[in-house]
Amino acid sequence: MGIYSVTNACIHLQNAARARLGLTSIPNTKYNLRLALAMHRAGLLASVTRGGPRPPPPEALLAYESEPVTNANVATRRIWVGLKYWNNEPVLRNVKPVSKPSRLVTATLDELNKVARGFPVGQLKGLTLGETLFLSTDRGVLEVREALERRVGGLVLCVVS
Amino acid sequence: MSVARPAARRLISGHLAAVPGAGCAAAPSTAPCHHQLFAHQFHSSPQLSARRRPRFANVRASDMGLMDEKQIDQFTKEKFPKYTPEEIEQLRNRYSPEQIAALEAGEAAIDPRDLTVQGRLRVDPYTLPYIDDFAETQPIIDKRPKWKDAPDPNARFMNMDEFTQDLIRWADKFQQGDVTGMLKTLVDFVPEEFQKVPEAQWPGEVREEAHKAFQNYLEAEVNKQKDRDPDEMGSGPTDADVLQYILERSAMTDNNRTTDTSLAHALPSKVPGVAGLYKAAIDPADKGLDDIGIYQDLKKRTGMSVQNILRLQTKMLVWRHVSNQTRLGKVRKTSIMYVAGNGDGWLGIGEAKSTEGSIASMKARLLAIRNMRPIRRYENRTIYGTVEAKVSGTIVKMAARPPGFGLRVSHRIFEMCRCAGIYDLAATIPRSRNPMNSVKAAFKALCSQPDPEEIAIGRGKKLVDARKVYYGGDVY
Repeated sequence: MGIYSVTNACIHLQNAARARLGLTSIPNTKYNLRLALAMHRAGLLASVTRGGPRPPPPEALLAYESEPVTNANVATRRIWVGLKYWNNEPVLRNVKPVSKPSRLVTATLDELNKVARGFPVGQLKGLTLGETLFLSTDRGVLEVREALERRVGGLVLCVVS
Repeated sequence: MSVARPAARRLISGHLAAVPGAGCAAAPSTAPCHHQLFAHQFHSSPQLSARRRPRFANVRASDMGLMDEKQIDQFTKEKFPKYTPEEIEQLRNRYSPEQIAALEAGEAAIDPRDLTVQGRLRVDPYTLPYIDDFAETQPIIDKRPKWKDAPDPNARFMNMDEFTQDLIRWADKFQQGDVTGMLKTLVDFVPEEFQKVPEAQWPGEVREEAHKAFQNYLEAEVNKQKDRDPDEMGSGPTDADVLQYILERSAMTDNNRTTDTSLAHALPSKVPGVAGLYKAAIDPADKGLDDIGIYQDLKKRTGMSVQNILRLQTKMLVWRHVSNQTRLGKVRKTSIMYVAGNGDGWLGIGEAKSTEGSIASMKARLLAIRNMRPIRRYENRTIYGTVEAKVSGTIVKMAARPPGFGLRVSHRIFEMCRCAGIYDLAATIPRSRNPMNSVKAAFKALCSQPDPEEIAIGRGKKLVDARKVYYGGDVY
């Protein structure tokens, strides 16, 4: 399972937030969906909705049921992501991919402990005020604090602030 | 140009293409023909036959009975009467003979009847926006007329002799007792031929003699006055006369000439528009700390008292010479940047230029105090998180540090931190270290710190500072 789509999604989300978009879409992959849901859990996104090539109606974002996925329409499925703003500033301001297809960065539990406390480890810089880390673990895509809670390390996807 | 050009063009074209003219085509080389042609061509007015003639003859107004000579005369006499001899006398008092001559010439040149018949209200673009013949002065609109002459440019303060003579001239106005004539002056004691000559040109012995005689004469007069019974004295100068002499009599050799021109106007004690600008009213609340009035404007703007303003920490951070190259040469100035803070979370920077270094410094300092704004501080000792600010090619990166870390920053940022009351900080300037830009970027960075509360609200999370939870927040 490559991470190129996740890397691209990260950058797309950052661009969309800087362009002050309210709703944007990323390709419909399981990896993207997990990352979007992890960000949603962390409070960085307003909504995550599966849909087709057209954006779902805004009033039905939370309870939208798209047409069933078939072989004929699977290629056109998208994940529609609602972006958040507070005080005229995007909540999701910077999304920096850490791992890329040519260099995967992993972190063990010990390393994550240090990084979460603000100390740099290897490729990773220590987290500062407002920064968080998303990891791909065998328990799914988790935020760094969730991973520490569950005592797992994994593949570092992106740093978000 | 307007006349000569077409003629010249016709001259050329006359050679190139034969202009149709009487006899020209037949004998183009004959001189009289050319002469005739050119003489007519050089006139600017059209030929008589080309002039416009009205198709219908006009009728004069008088022929139609529109103009009544009697009424015209009556109107003229009423509205444009001639000056009476009394009026001319009054004008003579006011105007010089040349001006009177000009007035009379003007009066003679214009027939009052013409004013009645031909007088029109102006409609040209340069017409005044109101109707006035400028015969009277209107105090609201017009400037105050100045009838008196300008002060004597050659007047100087009187010397001793001139002063004495002036005093005698003044005293002679008051007839006293049996004094029949006026008091004598120095000139009366010299021979006839020197009386018209200024004193400086008198021969030495003549002058000495005259002075001696004059002195004796004055002493005799004074003794005469002494001997006289005061009751016999006539009406001498009153106190009011003396006061008037002291206050109003000119002390210069201008024969008491008064004037009302701008040259002679003394400045009033309070010049409108200037009063209070250069002599600041001293506020008793300042307790004598600001008698010059430097901080009065700042006081109004910031609401701080002078005591508090003087208590602020200020520091000159950047000082450099700049020059503006003009065609007249270099205009050199001093550019100064100040930082000001109260040592407790307020910081401001001010930048000013002036040809005088001290003025630039004061301006920059006042500006810095004016620009002070609150800086967010974590635990009143360091900043929140890491911040980065860029001004031009200068990037300043700052990071919060634990207690006791100190200020590991460059010297200008160190001074800023001292003014703002920041005690633990790490800062780097990885790129350009331009002094002004590094100060500006540091200020920008300090002002753009993230607010953890805002971030938490944005993400819908609850935020607790763990350092304030354990040990009752007493973590130092």
